Amino acid sequence: MSKRGAPLAGPLTRGWARLRAWSWSRRSTATETPLSQHRLFVVPTGFGLAWAGLIVILFLFGTNYQNNLAYGLAFWLLAIALVALVRGWRNLLGVRVTITPEGEAFAGDEARLRVTLAASRDRQALAVCLGRRLGRRAGRSRTRRSEREGRCAVADLVDGEASLTIGWPVTLRGDQPLPRLRLESDWPLGLVRALAWVESPETLLVYPRPWSSRDPAMAASRPLDESSPPSATPKTPRDTQEFAGLKRYVPGDAPSRLAWKQWSRTGVLATKHFSEPPVAPTWLDYAAVTGDVETRLSWLCYQVNAYHGRGEPFGLRLPGLTLPPASGSVQRRRALSALARFSLPGSESTGTVHDGLDDAVDDSASANGAFAPATGVTAGDARQEGA
Amino acid sequence: MSESATPVLLADGESLSAAMLRRLFIGQCLVLIMHLPFMPLWLLAVAALVAWRRHRQLIARAPRASVTLRLAAIALLCVALWAQYGGFGDLEALLGVLIGIYLLKLLETRTRRDARVVVGIGFVVLTASFLHDQSIFMALGAVAAATWLVHSLVMLSGGAQARPNRVAWRETAWLLGLSAPLMVALFIVMPRLGPLWSLPTLERASTGLSDSMAPGDIAKLSRSDARAFRVSFAGPVPAPAERYWRVYTLSHFDGERWSRETPEALAAMLERPLSDFAKTARRNPFAADTFTSAATDRSGGVTGSGSTSGGSSRYRTEFLLEPDSRPWRPSLGTPLASPERQRFLGDGTFEGVAALSSRGLMSLASSGEAPAFASPAGRAWHTLLPRGRNPRTLALAKRLWQDAEGDPEAYMAAVMARFGEAPYRYTLEPPRLAGEHRVDDFLFDSQAGYCSHYASATAVLARAVGIPARVVAGFQGGERHPDGHLTVRDYDAHAWVEVWHDGAWRRLDPTAVIAPERIEQGTAALSAGSQAFLADAGLSPLRFRDVAWVNRARLAWERLEYRWQLQVVGYESRDREALLSQLLQALETPWQSFKALKERISSLASSGAGALRLGAEVLGVLMLAALVVVGVQAGARRWRRPSTLRELLLEDAAWLARHGYPPRPGESPAAHLRRLAAASSGDEPSPDEPGLARGRAADLQQRQRDLKAASQALAEAIERVYYAPLDERERRRWHEAFHARRRRWRRAFRRVNRCRGRGAGRLARWRQTWHLGR
Repeated sequence: MSKRGAPLAGPLTRGWARLRAWSWSRRSTATETPLSQHRLFVVPTGFGLAWAGLIVILFLFGTNYQNNLAYGLAFWLLAIALVALVRGWRNLLGVRVTITPEGEAFAGDEARLRVTLAASRDRQALAVCLGRRLGRRAGRSRTRRSEREGRCAVADLVDGEASLTIGWPVTLRGDQPLPRLRLESDWPLGLVRALAWVESPETLLVYPRPWSSRDPAMAASRPLDESSPPSATPKTPRDTQEFAGLKRYVPGDAPSRLAWKQWSRTGVLATKHFSEPPVAPTWLDYAAVTGDVETRLSWLCYQVNAYHGRGEPFGLRLPGLTLPPASGSVQRRRALSALARFSLPGSESTGTVHDGLDDAVDDSASANGAFAPATGVTAGDARQEGA
Repeated sequence: MSESATPVLLADGESLSAAMLRRLFIGQCLVLIMHLPFMPLWLLAVAALVAWRRHRQLIARAPRASVTLRLAAIALLCVALWAQYGGFGDLEALLGVLIGIYLLKLLETRTRRDARVVVGIGFVVLTASFLHDQSIFMALGAVAAATWLVHSLVMLSGGAQARPNRVAWRETAWLLGLSAPLMVALFIVMPRLGPLWSLPTLERASTGLSDSMAPGDIAKLSRSDARAFRVSFAGPVPAPAERYWRVYTLSHFDGERWSRETPEALAAMLERPLSDFAKTARRNPFAADTFTSAATDRSGGVTGSGSTSGGSSRYRTEFLLEPDSRPWRPSLGTPLASPERQRFLGDGTFEGVAALSSRGLMSLASSGEAPAFASPAGRAWHTLLPRGRNPRTLALAKRLWQDAEGDPEAYMAAVMARFGEAPYRYTLEPPRLAGEHRVDDFLFDSQAGYCSHYASATAVLARAVGIPARVVAGFQGGERHPDGHLTVRDYDAHAWVEVWHDGAWRRLDPTAVIAPERIEQGTAALSAGSQAFLADAGLSPLRFRDVAWVNRARLAWERLEYRWQLQVVGYESRDREALLSQLLQALETPWQSFKALKERISSLASSGAGALRLGAEVLGVLMLAALVVVGVQAGARRWRRPSTLRELLLEDAAWLARHGYPPRPGESPAAHLRRLAAASSGDEPSPDEPGLARGRAADLQQRQRDLKAASQALAEAIERVYYAPLDERERRRWHEAFHARRRRWRRAFRRVNRCRGRGAGRLARWRQTWHLGR
């Protein structure tokens, strides 16, 4: 970022970013529309170039030995390459891609994206990739493969539909636009690779990274609020609970709670119900935690999960937002969404946080320059990787 | 191959699986088989060893092949090839290295990329096999091997599929099928270049014809049925007795052996410039001197249009020569002219400028007779005889010469007549002559031999009285094929004599006297019961030439092979130009008619009434075309129309699904239709629906009611036909009702759909795909 801070950087980078955005808009296809021939690219692979060399060798062979069969084989290989080009292109033409997030995602973790491919014909060996580096090179450097690069999943499209899941590492919380995916295939011979970029207008809400003691960065700035132990007890023991009565058995009730005695007496299957002892609702308060914004949110996120896991009600108090105490998954989801979308009332500019992976980071970074320190670092890393 | 799901890669996503390695190995074997008939058999052992080692590595009983092992393997291979060929000078050893490296590559093949490299080298090695031979078998074998290699590549780029093999074979078929016409077009159209640089070629001799002969040595006569050359004629085909193919003249006799003196040797010996004995030209410079003056009285047969001097070329021939590292060329009589440059020799034979590394075509005009020009070596050279040899023969010559009273013609006639008399016989297995005076031994003692013996004796007898004579080695005869071309084989090799008389060489064939059937009918005529004939040929179809169908099949095969060699292997720039010009001519006619049509149109359009007529014509043509298209479509639909009731219902279900009403799982057709009826009556169009005017809304309602009724009627018909107990007549009636109701229902459905006007069907999707504006 500092390198681009030269006097000319402002208009130049902005122009560059706009150019790139425009080029991406020309290059990528929206989800759920068939890939059109305007947005389908065919590039030769390394093996394709080697194949061209092979054809030249055979042609020279035929020329120097005046060997017509060698000529014939050379021409055949050439013809096969041309046909493979068309067939590879046709393998991708008209495929419809749908991207749906699966499950929930926490920052620093991996979001699961379910990619559904649909087409009228059968398609072979379609690879859906994340990241900008092409093809095999992405998977080559295994040791240095960063989390962002070279995620690929391969599937065949049979009977009109296929689906696969691909991991998407998310680093930032908040509403994240779904990543641009690359659909590529080197079917049928590996001579050419047909590829297309697919962009989804949808966003995925990424929850803050849950605090964990193993994380050194988090451990360093450990919050002071130690009131509730991090180790969650699985369930309240039964003897502390109070018997509340019998209810008619409903399929799905735990067998350990069936009233067998009643059954033997009356022949009616019933389930024992216990009332939870009343617990004073806990307030998870932003103000009660120390540390910077992200650390606080992280700790709160962890607590929300822990309380939900124990089944205890909790309330959430954030600057500018208060959730009354409740329990259950609805409450949890509400709390996590609030944490994910939280931004300090003072600095509205950090409200829209973009994914560090995306090219869009360029313009957003230069446009609204002020970043929270943590996010700024990630974005800078992303640009260096990408450059 | 089995249909089991065999992944291409192992679980680590990188290493090749056993199935893929096996596939690569089979590909290697196929390519190797192409070479094996010409290469040492131990290469097979190399392949097996490598496969065994790789297998052990795969099942983890052996570590990955180290660099040392690979280098040692290559070194071992080179040593073995060195031992086989004694160096790497000739091409076969280099081919051996190429094949060996191809086989050894499997040792270090681990990833997808390696496998692709193996397949790529496979294509090179496959091409190299065409150096050995370019026959139909090789071509078919190459197609099979290439198909397998392409299939391997398809397998390599496929992911983990349910039925990889089947999908890959289908894709391979598509690739090969679509590329084949393109290949043929490229083959025809691509211009051919001459050799860019010289490369080592394979050493070989296609024929047993030798440039020296020693009658009396163990029979050196080649009796194999290998082909020497094939020839076709533009014009008349000579009679069997006239088919004397001259190749070499043997003019030097040392008492035992007749041998050829090359022009270089002659020039050195006689101390004259080489250009006296050999000239490279398109026309025979030796013949040109004499023919322009003397040969005008000869009645020429077919004369090439200005291709020869003096119009004396009787035969225009096209040879298909077998590859040979010696540049010998046959000619029917004296060679006169050729489109390419040839090296014409003073003795009336000629050579190619270079040896043939593969089968080659050569056009030639020739006289059909012995040369009418004197040999530049001179008269003395052709009357030389070694001193003190064959005294009895010399005495016989002197006696005959006196009887003939010094007339060369009468003398030679007497010599021939002598051979025609009793004790001399023709045999392919003459006794061996080992003495010093071999001609004496043959003429007076054994009195049995084949063409060489008789030719040698005749030439000696002629030279003994001072008549210039030489032995000609070549071929005589040839098998005539139904399409007119001749095949001349090794066993047609022959030797005869040419004597100088009256300012021209005269052909004299003693064999024609002693065994006229050999000349008239070919060697095979002598072979009845003879073990010697085809002694070198092994189990040849020629042995069964008396069995009619075998012979017919053989001839048909040879004809096919000839055309293959002529039109595919021998395809060259000349053919290309001829073919292209033919193509252009063929295209000329439509082009002309198109131009005429254009002119007519422009003339019509210039006048008002003409324009009207033109419009009508165009309209008519368009309508006709549309009619044809519709007819073809209807025909196709009719042809593909489902016939049974079940297929009809399935089609309807698919149709409905296409229009957005898919059947639920396990739903019967009738229930599906009833659901559709309920739905169509259920969703009353709201008046504020976009794109629906008030009047159209009412229209839509009416139509939906129609559809509802039609659907219910059709559902009833389906149930009746399927389930109701009906007698024959009722059944037929319901069938008809079913079809009628089905038609009505379809019509109603379509109307509703059209009225909805939301064409979210295939067309819209198609337009979206192709970016056609909506």
